[in-house]
This record gives sequence, structure tokens and C-alpha cells, in this order.
Amino acid sequence: MRHSAVSCTGIHKQFTKHVFPSSMLQDRILRWRRHRKRWSHTALQNVSLSVGQGEWVGLYGPNGCGKTTLLRILAGLLPEDSGHVSITGKLSCFFELGVGFHPEKSAVENIYMHGLLHGVDPSVIRSQTDEIIERAGVASHRDLPIKCYSSGMKMRLAFITTMRTESDIYFLDEVFAVGDLEFQQICREELRLLKARGKTAILVLHELKELRETCDRIVFLEKGAISGEEIILPVTKSL
Amino acid sequence: MPAQFSWKHGVRVVLAMGFADFMLKYRGSVLGFLWSFIIPIVKFLVIYHVFQPFIQGVEHYQLYLFLGLILWEHFSLMTTACMSMLHEKAAIVQKVAFPRMLLILSVGWTHTLILLSYFVIFLCIALAMGIEPTWGLLYVPLIFVQATLLGLSVGMILSCYSLKFADLQHLWSVLLQVIFWLTPIIYPYTPKAPLAADFANLFSGSLQLSFWSLFDIFIRFQPLSILLHDARRAILYPSTVGVPSLIHAVGFSVICLLLFVACAILFRKRSRYFIQEY
Repeated sequence: MRHSAVSCTGIHKQFTKHVFPSSMLQDRILRWRRHRKRWSHTALQNVSLSVGQGEWVGLYGPNGCGKTTLLRILAGLLPEDSGHVSITGKLSCFFELGVGFHPEKSAVENIYMHGLLHGVDPSVIRSQTDEIIERAGVASHRDLPIKCYSSGMKMRLAFITTMRTESDIYFLDEVFAVGDLEFQQICREELRLLKARGKTAILVLHELKELRETCDRIVFLEKGAISGEEIILPVTKSL
Repeated sequence: MPAQFSWKHGVRVVLAMGFADFMLKYRGSVLGFLWSFIIPIVKFLVIYHVFQPFIQGVEHYQLYLFLGLILWEHFSLMTTACMSMLHEKAAIVQKVAFPRMLLILSVGWTHTLILLSYFVIFLCIALAMGIEPTWGLLYVPLIFVQATLLGLSVGMILSCYSLKFADLQHLWSVLLQVIFWLTPIIYPYTPKAPLAADFANLFSGSLQLSFWSLFDIFIRFQPLSILLHDARRAILYPSTVGVPSLIHAVGFSVICLLLFVACAILFRKRSRYFIQEY
């Protein structure tokens, strides 16, 4: 029996927006009351999930079913309306590749800031920098600002930087299968390495086949609720 | 927010982010960092030329005005930067889990570096004009801390609501103009008594409130007026007006700190909802 690395119980989330395009302070001062016309959408209802240590769970469902909202709540980026979240271990979440990369900064500067923002110790970042640059295949552009990189180079650098961010638990939202076929192979290899090191992960992908090859379990979400679960048998997996 | 953000790591992020923003701001420009001096110097030259004939009895008026302007610039730039920060760093705020307070503190760090450089220029000019350095200069670090706490406090309130209210930037730019003229930057500020006694006199019964007297009361007691007055008497007039007393220094610092803590609590509470407000 694995100990739980990530667990949540009874998560409920509703988004409420004003129907008016934006809220104006001057309007609030002059009218002395709020716009009453609002639109509400229930993004998650009574979602409970538990992910064991070293387990890889895939979230699958159509657009708008609440996958990213659930990840954001688990990561502490969004407050839940009700329910409880528990995380055991160091967490890194990646909702987009290269977040925080600045086009005017070099690869070394961007790797450093990316690592800091994800809670990595500076000495660890420095020790990994050369390897990340080499692995991403951007050594020839090492001292150039990343605005001089091709989009493929940027993606490769961002992906390898993400994969080398030292953590216990990873939330990965649509951050795979970037670049050409050769690099996609490298992506799969990187994931395999991460998994072999016993890390825990929750993945969001639109490719069910890819999830089946990568994860131990797939959780299906529909209209903000868990609609099913599939345990992946080792024989069907490539990772 | 993740537990890996220890106090020590938070300081690292603030220093690195603030310094990177500071360097990026001027990277590649011909004059580099010297560009940052253009705004206060141009403002100083114009205001000095226009107002100097009307200002009587202010010793070293050039320095009086320049010191007021650099502290004002620090406040106004810092509050504006805090307010626009959530828009500028939208990608990070929406996608990386880290304490949002670090963004505010990095703005404070960047602008403290700029204030420090302004102050070095100010000191060079003061020395060239024959102002002798005194022990009053030891008060300057406290002025820096108080000014930064005040600026960040207001900046945090603005930042909290900058996503919620689309017109806040516009309203704040108008309000900044009003506060500029209601702060003794250009004109003399002469308290009638020590601050606490002056404040107590307000409620002694002899006070006659009118619309215009409210402006006077605001100018006398608003924190920026007190800050500017303290800076000037510590640096420019230590022998004539005298440096602020220990009680005054501690009292005003505590007020600034309490304001900062209150605003930080509000900011932290509201920061949970930032993503929903984009």
C-alpha cells in the first residue's frame, strides 16, 4: 500500500463573473452598489482523488471539464470553495513550458530564474545548467538572449529545464510532445527517467494513448466530476 | 503555496528578481542607468525655474526641492510599479505557485536601488554646494526604510485591486497628481509644534473646520509630509531645525511598519483570488 503524496476530498469550485465587461471603481463609487447580473459556472463538484507516492496519474476529459482547475487547486494556485487538499512532499507545477522565461535574458539567466521560482536551491541550479543546455541542444546559442532562438529551441530548453527541476511531486499540464519527432523521443526518455527516480506525477494530456503509455492510472473527468477510472496494466505501458 | 519557499529562499528570489528587473530596464540603452535620472532632473529644472522666484526664506532651496523630488519619485514609481506588477507578471502569477508577496518585495528592492543612486547624486551636489556632512546622515537609512514601507503599503493595496477594477491605474494617476500638490515638495513646510503636540492641538477645541482647512490638516499630517520634513532636517538643517528625536523616529517607524503589516495581511488574503480575476 503506497502512502498518499497528493490527496483531495470533496473539492467543489464555482466561478462567478460579472456579466459586464469589466468592473470599474468609479462605477462602484458613483452607484454605491454592485452590478447584480452575474454568471456562474460550476467547474468542479465533489471531486476526491488520491495519488500514491511514486504513482503517475493521468487526467483525461474534454475541454472545460475541470482538469486544469483541479490541478490549480491541488497546486494551491486557486482556492477551493469547499473540500480539503493534502500534499506530502515538495511540489512543482508546470502549466506551460518556459513560464518566467524572459526573451532578453540568456539561457543561463532564464534557467536560474526558472529554478528559483520553483523553489530550487541556487547551487543545484548552477550544477545542472550546463547539462540542461547540452541536453536541449542549444549550446551554440548559450550566450545569446533567447529571443534569438528558434521556437523549437525555446521549447526544448523549456522542456528540459522543467524536467530537471528537482521535486517530489510534478503536476504537468499539456507540456509534452514538443518539437520534432527526434525531440519527442527525448521527451519520452526524460519522462521515463523521472518516473524511474520514483517521482509522483499528475499529467493532463489530450492524447489518451500517450496517457496510457505513461501513467499507472487514468482518471476521467466530465462536467466537473470524476466519471471513471482506468488502471493501466504494466503490459500496455512503454514507460 | 508550496512549503519549499523558506524565508531564506524568498530573500533569494526577491534579490534576484529585483536585480534582474533593474538590469533589464536599462540593458542596451545608450545612456544605460543614467536614463533613470532624466525624469527627476527635468522635473527639478522646470519646477525650480518656475517656482524659485516665489519661494522666500528657504535655505538651500535647490537641495530642499531636489530631496523632496527624489523621495516623491520613489513613492510614485513604486506604487505605480506595484499596481502594474500583476499585469506585467501575469504568466508567472497564473502558472507558478509561489508567494505573491515576493513580487511586491522585489519591486521594493528594485526601487530602493534606484533611490540609493538618486541619493548618491544628491549627496554629491550637496557637498559641491558646501553642505557639510553631519551625524544627521546616519538618519538616512531609516528614511529609506520608512519611504519604502510607505510606498509598498500603498502599492499593495493598489495591487490587490488592480485586477478587480480596470480603471484603478487611471484613477491612481489622477490621485498622484493631487497628492503631489498636497505634499510639501515645492513649497515650505513649517510645523507649528512637535508632531504629537500639533496633532493634539487639533482636538483642543479651538479648531475651526472648513473645506480649505482640511487640505491644510492633510498637508500637515500626511505621512509623506512628515517623511520629507524628517529627511530635510536630518540632512539639510541638522543644526538649525535639528534632527528628529528618538521618540519621533521610533514612533513614525512603528506607524509605517504597522501600516505595512496591515497591507501585507490584506494582500496575502486577496492574493488567493488573483487568478480568478484575470
